[in-house]
Amino acid sequence: MSPDVMKLLSVGLAAGLGFFGPALALGLIGYSAMQSLGRNPEARGAILTNMILIGALAEAIGIYVLIVCIILAMVVKF
Amino acid sequence: MKGNGRYKVLLFFFVPVLILFAVGFVFGPLGAGFFGTKPPGIFQVPKPTVDLPAEPICHVGHFSLTNTLIASWLTIIVLVGLSLLLTRKMKPIPGKGQAMAELVVEGLLNFVESVAGKKHARMLFPEVATIFLYVITNAYLALLPFFGSIGLHEHNDKLAPLFRAANTDVNTPLSIAIMSFCLVEYWGMKSLGVVHYLSEFINVRQLGQGFKALLAGRIGSAVMDIFFGFINLFVGLLEIFSHIMRMLSFTFRLFGNMTAGEILILVSSFLIPLAFTIPFYGLELLIGLIQALIFSGLTLVFGTIAVSPHEETE
Repeated sequence: MSPDVMKLLSVGLAAGLGFFGPALALGLIGYSAMQSLGRNPEARGAILTNMILIGALAEAIGIYVLIVCIILAMVVKF
Repeated sequence: MKGNGRYKVLLFFFVPVLILFAVGFVFGPLGAGFFGTKPPGIFQVPKPTVDLPAEPICHVGHFSLTNTLIASWLTIIVLVGLSLLLTRKMKPIPGKGQAMAELVVEGLLNFVESVAGKKHARMLFPEVATIFLYVITNAYLALLPFFGSIGLHEHNDKLAPLFRAANTDVNTPLSIAIMSFCLVEYWGMKSLGVVHYLSEFINVRQLGQGFKALLAGRIGSAVMDIFFGFINLFVGLLEIFSHIMRMLSFTFRLFGNMTAGEILILVSSFLIPLAFTIPFYGLELLIGLIQALIFSGLTLVFGTIAVSPHEETE
């Protein structure tokens, strides 16, 4: 396999497999937030604040994957 | 009809955007692909090249002045200028400018107090608020029209913009992350004392107890204490590692979000020139605010953990 094909394959695999984790994490965070909101609608402020905080932490993992893909695609030259 | 006023708003906003979208689609690169129409002069956006390192504008001796540095100077000028301007003549019943400044300061102080508690809020407030204002002003100034477009042409015919979003250079998030790390350690040492704070990392307390019990002859409790003492020591060393990892994670979180936003706006304004970028600018506004909140909020949370005395789980 030529290096260009390998490069394209690696970028695609890295992006596709890598975004799976953060997406799942964000879905779980939203799920638990909705559940606790349904149980206790009065705690809305605290629940939403913490949800956004943890959401951004999980989002960061996706950003790390994006950085790896950008580096693989644009910076690595053969 | 009940929604009469609403229809006028739709007409005046939605229809021009649709028209611009159609025009941009037909005359942009997508239209050139579908219909074969050549883009006229005003729609020729340069093909987006992703340039991760910041472009130097001029060299002062060995130091290269990059465009992100100039942009962060602009941020500093804007922040310092605004704060000087708005607090010029302070009155007990504030005018409009002073009221806006008070709104910002009080909002940030409430945020800090809600996480850190009233006792430590005043100590943590200045740096956390500065991190928030710096990151958000960097992010929002980057959406102005002259950022990234007005610049000098380099020798190989590539445009080096005079201003570029300061958060898209790795150095800016790295510098704020290093400052955040140093500040958290400083707050911990200032509140708990240097030796007590550092002893949480090299935790030989239970190990020492275990050896003393061994010398005193109580083998049973000595073995337990030595075993858990080693585990505590290891956990303390892991804490050091986790503190250092925070610097890296702060850096790449902010850098990645801002660079991804910049690339998104470049690519979307290249594909369909005129109206397609409007939702992406909205997304950039939201992401700038959230990232500033996250950076300052995480610094605040780690600082709160560092200054609160650890309860002994004996």
